[in-house]
Amino acid sequence: MSQWLAHVIERAAAVDDWLSPVRAEALAKLKEQSWPGRRTEAWRYTSLHAVEDLSLPTESNAQAEAPAIKGLDAIDLVFVDGRLTSDLAALNLPEGLTIRSLTDKSDIAEQVFTQVKPSHHLFGLVNDVLATQGIVIEVAANATIERPIRVVNFATDNVESHTRVLVSLGDNAKATVIEHGSGTGHSLNTAFAEYDIADNARLEHYRFALHQGEAIHVGGSHFKLANKSRLNSTLIGYGSQLTRLDVDIIHAGEHAHAKFNNAYLLAPKEHFDLHSTIEHAMPNGTTEENARGIIGDKAKAVFNGRIHIHRDAQKTLAELNNRNLLLSRGAQINTKPELEIYADDVQCAHGATVAEIDEEALYYLLTRGIDKQKALVMLNFGFVQEMVFDMPNEALAEWLQPILKQRFEDMMERS
Amino acid sequence: MLTIKDLHARVEEKTIIKGLNLEIKPGEVHAIMGPNGAGKSTLGYVLSGRDGYEVEQGEVNFNGANLLDMEVEERAQAGLFLAFQYPVEIPGVSNMEFMKESVNAMRKARGEDELSSAEFLKMAKEACKQVNLPLDFLKRGVNEGFSGGEKKRNEIMQLIMLKPKLAILDESDSGLDVDALQVVANGVNSQRDGERSFIVVTHYQRLLDFIEPDYVHILAQGKIVKSGGPELAKEVEASGYAWLGQADEGEKA
Repeated sequence: MSQWLAHVIERAAAVDDWLSPVRAEALAKLKEQSWPGRRTEAWRYTSLHAVEDLSLPTESNAQAEAPAIKGLDAIDLVFVDGRLTSDLAALNLPEGLTIRSLTDKSDIAEQVFTQVKPSHHLFGLVNDVLATQGIVIEVAANATIERPIRVVNFATDNVESHTRVLVSLGDNAKATVIEHGSGTGHSLNTAFAEYDIADNARLEHYRFALHQGEAIHVGGSHFKLANKSRLNSTLIGYGSQLTRLDVDIIHAGEHAHAKFNNAYLLAPKEHFDLHSTIEHAMPNGTTEENARGIIGDKAKAVFNGRIHIHRDAQKTLAELNNRNLLLSRGAQINTKPELEIYADDVQCAHGATVAEIDEEALYYLLTRGIDKQKALVMLNFGFVQEMVFDMPNEALAEWLQPILKQRFEDMMERS
Repeated sequence: MLTIKDLHARVEEKTIIKGLNLEIKPGEVHAIMGPNGAGKSTLGYVLSGRDGYEVEQGEVNFNGANLLDMEVEERAQAGLFLAFQYPVEIPGVSNMEFMKESVNAMRKARGEDELSSAEFLKMAKEACKQVNLPLDFLKRGVNEGFSGGEKKRNEIMQLIMLKPKLAILDESDSGLDVDALQVVANGVNSQRDGERSFIVVTHYQRLLDFIEPDYVHILAQGKIVKSGGPELAKEVEASGYAWLGQADEGEKA
């Protein structure tokens, strides 16, 4: 048992709010969990040594402003070290959108909290018992919310924090939610989000996990898709001392469609671990997942992509590909495809590669007079940039592109 | 401009070009016609320096330099341009960054200053308009999701922006309807300035109605078997390639 987890359990006993009955269930599950080691499959390539005996203050007075993104007119909700600093009452919300604090009792929170996220994620359970601060976003049936809703989550220095996001999209609703997390100081932040997407609803989703340096960030985004609903999600990650994300996409209804693009760019000594699980529980669902990684210097990436097609999920179409580019000898990727198929009439493809340069593309660039070194940089970065170009929100793409490019160029220089 | 002497070249184990001679002077337009499998595309790849296309014998002189000694990008920087028959798609690289990098590489090679973003954009807009491509295509990946005709027009747009000394057009007419053909031909003709030379590789005479050549060469079995003026293309149009007395084999890209 880790000292840290023992403290979590102690602290959990003191949490008393309207969600306490649900938290108690999570606490019971948490108590059954053993501390993950090398032989724990879900943590095989990611050491929790940095968390094991961690003891950080659980409060800070830090203040921070949401970073402006040119052309993005978002409804911003800001957490600083786990504290919700936005004044919800001051928000000018469009019709059909309701935003509440998790501290306020609501039916939506009750319906979504712990109901989408699978209970096997250790840090998810920690978040269940400790995240008293959170945001509950409700989009009414048939409502289309044009302005993106952005949840900014800062972790500053020398602090531990836990934040929760709950989102419910009613039938035929349409919305964009951005989870924008960052931090560079020595901190631990768990950030879990649950999305309950009703019939015919459409969610455009982004998660930017831009933690660096000493930050420890463990979180997840979890989606439940009802009949004919659609999810378009993009996750962009840096690595930090430790970044671990779990994404679950659950096809709970028929004819749902999920697209999940993700890209990670890891600089020196950073660690990034993404576990994605696609659960096809019902027939006629489609999933497309593209995962791209560039790993520099002595950084280490872990990608575990699981597709689980249940017995009743006939006519499922699921594709996952993971491509990685290692910029140096010391860089590492552990990529593991997992396919479990129990239905017989499905189409499923799964591939993981360490990328090689497309010779034809290289030749094309060279015939246009571009130096080989520069052409290689363009192609290497291109395969991550493709995920940025594929983002439906142009303002976000235009904001992110130069940031990632700069990061990539710095990585190339060091590798 | 370009002198090819007794060129022999092979792809893998197969010799495709078997003793080709060609002399091109500044401002000239040479059409190279021939049946499939004659080595038309191979010639473009060999001149551009593509990997896997090995010169066994012969010389190629390009404006006083030994072309065969140069790397692919050096040949391009020296002013050689190849418009591809099947341009590749590069989804993660935008046309904008690709073209800007390319235009500036050429300008640098010519001893000119690099263009600012604004200058580049102005030039790109004009070129887009000239080949009838929508502006937003600049933001998209290189050739990504383009139709065959759009890809060909993109090649011509690059020709316009890169201002080469010699442009090889590899079947720039294939798969185009008459309107698209006209756009491609107008783009090419706008670049004929009495200095710039062209090699127009084509299977059909049709393109040569729009881009009038000074010379026409018939390439068969890796050699130029007949040369003449524009009237030679009309002969081919009338009689096909059967007179060459060889099978019309499929050509490898």
